Amino acid sequence: MGDPLARETEVFYPAFSELTINRLLLEKVLGYRAGGTPEVISRLIDEILPEVPSRTSVQCGFSILPIGAVSVSRETFTCDGVQFTTGPIIAKQLRASTTLALFVATIGSQVEQWARDLIDSGDAVKGYIADAAASEAVEQAADWLEKKVTERVRDRGWKLTNRYSPGYCDWSVAEQHKLFSLLPERFCGVELTPSSLMLPIKSVSGVIGLGPEVKRDPTVCSICDMKDCFRRQEEPAAT
Amino acid sequence: MATDNLLESLKRCIERGKVNCKSPHPPDMKGQDGADELTRKALDTGIPPQDVLSNALVLGMQHVGERFRNKEIFVPDVLMSAKAMSAAMEHLKPFFKSDALKHRGTIVMGTVLGDLHDIGKKIVSMVIEGAGWEVVDLGTDVSPEKFLTAVDQHPGCVIGLSALLTTTMINMETTIRHVKGKHPGIKIIVGGAPVTQEFANKIGADGYSPDPQGAVEFLNTRCLQN
Ligand code: B12
Repeated sequence: MGDPLARETEVFYPAFSELTINRLLLEKVLGYRAGGTPEVISRLIDEILPEVPSRTSVQCGFSILPIGAVSVSRETFTCDGVQFTTGPIIAKQLRASTTLALFVATIGSQVEQWARDLIDSGDAVKGYIADAAASEAVEQAADWLEKKVTERVRDRGWKLTNRYSPGYCDWSVAEQHKLFSLLPERFCGVELTPSSLMLPIKSVSGVIGLGPEVKRDPTVCSICDMKDCFRRQEEPAAT
Repeated sequence: MATDNLLESLKRCIERGKVNCKSPHPPDMKGQDGADELTRKALDTGIPPQDVLSNALVLGMQHVGERFRNKEIFVPDVLMSAKAMSAAMEHLKPFFKSDALKHRGTIVMGTVLGDLHDIGKKIVSMVIEGAGWEVVDLGTDVSPEKFLTAVDQHPGCVIGLSALLTTTMINMETTIRHVKGKHPGIKIIVGGAPVTQEFANKIGADGYSPDPQGAVEFLNTRCLQN
């Protein structure tokens, strides 16, 4: 399936029901430990969640570069002649890639606007929860997209690295401009401001390494310095 | 209820996010008076507005800010308390208008040019308000010129800058230079996810805090005018 010598670009519009956002997950995102969420917060989450789907339009897409258009070195990678400086941490993870998939995912701007309206009308708690739900939704849209990429390259015997985004580890957010220069105009409906901000705000972008030799790194969190991140995976005990 | 008891209960309402009698939260305070009713009662009993503010509301909010910093509570809890605080503040507004009650000072807050992130700045603003300061929120994508205009309108104010990306965080430096160029004495505090103390020092900010309570401490220790 697909021709590895040509650029393969595809955009998807998954239904919100393809994502799995529920109260327990959101409680965790908000910082609470299992069983430690105040009743009122759980109730507000229950009120908000059903309102989210009609306010989202999930769009996500990838562009897999042709083999030969990509090279990775110690601190950089190059796509179609555009060089990215990711620093050694990300480059190391991408090193074994045969090629790369660039990606973007968004849930649109409606939830964000709704959250802002709630806050401005004095309902900050609800607004904040809605905003957190939106952030979680866009992360899940990117997870969903990873599965599509996995399916796309499975027949070639390729696997995927984790996804990496400009703005993480030592990869500067300013390189968003390079990333977007390699994608179609307004890819997935997302545009980039001169200050490297994606609009809608609830969007993510990045790169995934593909190839027979690449590996997902379950300890990827250990390379990041965001010690308090709720997404942080426990590191395996040192042996 | 004796004065001390009343103020103590009011402080508790702020800490627990108990807005008014009708609010079902927190469950163990169901049916009891909230910040709304107790503030009214306190004022009606003749407790000076300044005491209501300083000895109940501000103390309550301070406790909330500290618990948030220690990760004992989370943003939604802070916002519940802020809501109780603002219900109480409604009753104090007339005293601010008549000058019977004074804010500790004014801080002009804004997210810098090129950045549209709002929520973090709003949370800090609510906590700062809860500490008895007046907050003028200029919103997002605020140019250095706009900050300067605001300073002219609020002489003696402090400035608070927020940014969420390293690419927009650099506009803090431009803003600081622009504003301090005209008002060398003005105090500026910066914050937002990518900002660090080191960066704050480098760009000539007077303060930095990773959390709202640190902003309050900065204001109360470094920026009081009298
Ligand atoms: C949720 C999240 C997202 C969500 C939603 C983003 C949003 N803003 O709505 C999603 C998934 C969409 C996202 C996307 C991206 N994100 Co993001 N995201 C986060 C995360 C995990 C939390 C942000 C948040 O909402 N926090 C909650 C609010 C309430 O906190 P806050 O705004 O920081 O405010 C608090 C303090 O900072 C402080 N504060 C704030 N302002 C002020 C002002 C003053 C004066 C003071 C004293 C204090 C203060 O007090 C507030 C209350 O406690 C942070 C990491 C983190 N843990 O902070 C990364 C983070 C902000 N993201 C980051 C990045 C890089 C990105 C992307 C560029 C990645 C990508 N390439 O896709 C995109 C950019 C999106 C865009 N539109 O351009 C970086 C930014 C740093 C950088 N390198 O520039 C961070 C810091 C993660 C990291 N690498 O460390 N992100």
